[in-house]
Amino acid sequence: MHPLTPSKDPAPLTLPSPQGGEGGGESGYGWFPYALIAPAMLMLVVVALVPFLYTVYLSLHEIRHAQVGDWAGLANYRTLLANPRFWHSAGISLLFIAIAVPLEFGLGLGGALILNQGVRLRSIIIPVLFVPTMMAPVVVAILWKIMLAGSWGLLSYNVIERFGILTGTSVLASPSLALYALVLVDVWQWTPFMMLAFFAGLQSLPLTPYRAAAVDGASDLQAFRRLTLPLMAPLMAVIGLLRLIDAFKVFDTIFLLTGGGPGTATESTSLFVYKTVFDFWDLGPASATAVVIWIMFFAFANGFYQIARRKLGAF
Amino acid sequence: MRSSRVALFTILAVAWAALAIFPVLWMAAMTVKPEALMFARPPAWSFTPTLEHLHYVVAEGFAWSLVRSLMVAGLSTLLIVVIGTPAAYAFARFPIRRRDDLLLFVLATRLAPPVALVIPFYLIYARVGLLDTYVGLILAYLTFNLSFYVWVLWSFCRDLPPELEEAARADGYSRTRVLLHVVLPLLRPGIIATSVLCFIFAWNEFLYAFMLGGKAVETLPVAVPKLITSQGVKWGELSVVGIAALVPILAAVFVLQRHIVRGLTMGAVKG
Repeated sequence: MHPLTPSKDPAPLTLPSPQGGEGGGESGYGWFPYALIAPAMLMLVVVALVPFLYTVYLSLHEIRHAQVGDWAGLANYRTLLANPRFWHSAGISLLFIAIAVPLEFGLGLGGALILNQGVRLRSIIIPVLFVPTMMAPVVVAILWKIMLAGSWGLLSYNVIERFGILTGTSVLASPSLALYALVLVDVWQWTPFMMLAFFAGLQSLPLTPYRAAAVDGASDLQAFRRLTLPLMAPLMAVIGLLRLIDAFKVFDTIFLLTGGGPGTATESTSLFVYKTVFDFWDLGPASATAVVIWIMFFAFANGFYQIARRKLGAF
Repeated sequence: MRSSRVALFTILAVAWAALAIFPVLWMAAMTVKPEALMFARPPAWSFTPTLEHLHYVVAEGFAWSLVRSLMVAGLSTLLIVVIGTPAAYAFARFPIRRRDDLLLFVLATRLAPPVALVIPFYLIYARVGLLDTYVGLILAYLTFNLSFYVWVLWSFCRDLPPELEEAARADGYSRTRVLLHVVLPLLRPGIIATSVLCFIFAWNEFLYAFMLGGKAVETLPVAVPKLITSQGVKWGELSVVGIAALVPILAAVFVLQRHIVRGLTMGAVKG
């Protein structure tokens, strides 16, 4: 058996094959498993690996007017790293994540603990909470343009103007506030999902330790700190990491709500990549950025895989 | 004591859900709000509903965008189910050389940022003439959806008990027949849940459709800018399009419920 196959995987079907046709081969399965994965894996190679390698190739060449020129070595990477706008965009992305993700995590966990108190009407509450998460980014953008429109937006008129935060224009057009408006939108969209994911985790916790704790006279707070937190830790790590990955690559809502502006006030790394390619047509450095981002995401993906597998036993 | 606590938490949870859904309801009201009241200060809460926005959207041919969205999302999902299901099953059932590396490749493909992928896609498509074609868009959607499907369905496949398959093999079924007549019926809930999620992701998708599409394959999300006219932004009409884009999502959410968490956490949390 394959050494890396986890033990909980079903044992291979060892019964004798009456036809004996497709048996054969050292492992006894022959080409059959490979025939099953071939179409999907070939497709993924075509749509993911080939574009990736092509980007690496582009990033190592001089590119003028969309024509691939001479070998450039790491020159594009040097140009990228010397560009203050790249570092600015990295800062914006980090700030966005640093505010949005902990908020979503904390509020989500709180909400999950509330839902877990035997709350009624869950069959209505849960699907409603899923709606923001599953919504198209375009719809999210329309929704929040309406809520945050200058002067006539519901939130602008009733909250933002009333508390004297900003009058006349939309917060989305304010250089100092636009990023926080985007954080608000992200928190609105993703907190309910975090809440439901944590809730699913809470629901799957074993009951026995809690009964034992109750017998020992532990308070709710003690049970939470000594039982819930440690039991939920791997799951929280996995969900948090996945949210971090998604928050880092957020493009659509920012693109549609502010376009990275005003100026470069909300230009996250994703927006920076987009603009270097499709606005400035600066393909060399843009490919270099794409490669850097890709390597980062591969590291993220690997982290998620290892934690989910080792700590959570999910895969 | 106990019941008053439940009541308190129920109120809190309902309030939370109301807060999450409120902007959607406000947008729904905008679809029938008369143009004259659109920019009222303070925002108008009550008005006589009008169908002017709906008529405008229909007259502008948005129904065709809806059809194109259905085509792209439907066809790409169908293709994914056909080639993804056997792969997910094989990963769960058979020892495959370098299985872990292949699976990590699948996961990494899913998590890769689309903005980095759209660059090579655009350049390659421009060369081979796949810009603004259904084939081009459907292929591009495979990156995030095929990887998603294989990965999540793999988690469903691991939940299947192998005994039935063993019994069928003992009865003389070939491996292909076991897959078609034993595994597929058992996997049906997982296939439906995962493919509905794929459909939604394709339905919602913006960046690829925006960059790689054009007039011929203009899906609903990228048709939206048509409502930002020289006379100003058509907010009522935008709301109509927004609600239209939301309808399949609402239907899916009520059907899927607990499977959504499983899907969106890549199978790490069994909802």
